[in-house]
Amino acid sequence: MKWATRAHIHIDRCACAWLIRRDLDPAAEFVFVQDPEEVPADATPFDMTGVELTHHGGDCTFETILRRYRLDDPVLWRIAEIVHEADLDDERYHAPEAPGLDVVLRGLSFFCDDEKMLELTGPIFDGLYEYFRRARELGREPA
Amino acid sequence: MPTEWVLLSYRLPREPSTPRIATWRKLKRLGVAQLNDGLVALPDDARTREQLEWLAGEIAEAGGVATTWLARPSVIQVGRDLVAELTKARVEEYAAIIEEARSAAELGDSARRALKRRLSAELHRIGRRDYFPTAERAQAHEAVAEIVDA
Repeated sequence: MKWATRAHIHIDRCACAWLIRRDLDPAAEFVFVQDPEEVPADATPFDMTGVELTHHGGDCTFETILRRYRLDDPVLWRIAEIVHEADLDDERYHAPEAPGLDVVLRGLSFFCDDEKMLELTGPIFDGLYEYFRRARELGREPA
Repeated sequence: MPTEWVLLSYRLPREPSTPRIATWRKLKRLGVAQLNDGLVALPDDARTREQLEWLAGEIAEAGGVATTWLARPSVIQVGRDLVAELTKARVEEYAAIIEEARSAAELGDSARRALKRRLSAELHRIGRRDYFPTAERAQAHEAVAEIVDA
């Protein structure tokens, strides 16, 4: 399937693309557009104004996708807290990882195109997932 | 000085007041320049543009009308005045932090630690809406760093 989002992706769109490939559509193909008008007819748009899969009621798009597709894995929700705080920084959650991750991704985005961002950030989200999966299993911080 | 500004033009129904207050809080958090009733500006970059676009979406969801625009003042001085206005607002916030930080010496150990934590969080918030370099930024960070947290 084709998925479309705004070009120059940052944390929320990187995390959504990772989530889409991981849980919704392993063969997902991503298209990056400058304007909502450029979204191809056969693509599902996300993280842009006026579409279903975007910010709603204070949620970032990653949270919207989790709700819309009923992905209730608590590990994904822990990652959602980080994505939310890195994206919106509104202190809804306590996510001390957020400012660091925001800086890392912002730094990469200065010299990486959107495809490269997906390639580099995918393993970062895999790492976060594994860390919080182990933390839940152990009931403490894994080392 | 930024050449491009991102503007948010918005109108919200008078009632209910909750979305009005939420919008007002978010605009304050973003540190916008108020150009007129229902018209605010920020220097354009990837983050400011995105934040105002999300806010426009939320205003529309709450029954209001909102659009975002990229704009260039037709007179250079207008842009300079906006920069001066935003800079002054941040300088005042930093000055308040510096003053509080200097009062830390009179406090007991736990109150001083709590103050340092609160001021550090406040510096982070101000930093997110600080768009132009000022000497006060570094001074405020130093004043908070100097609070002894033993």
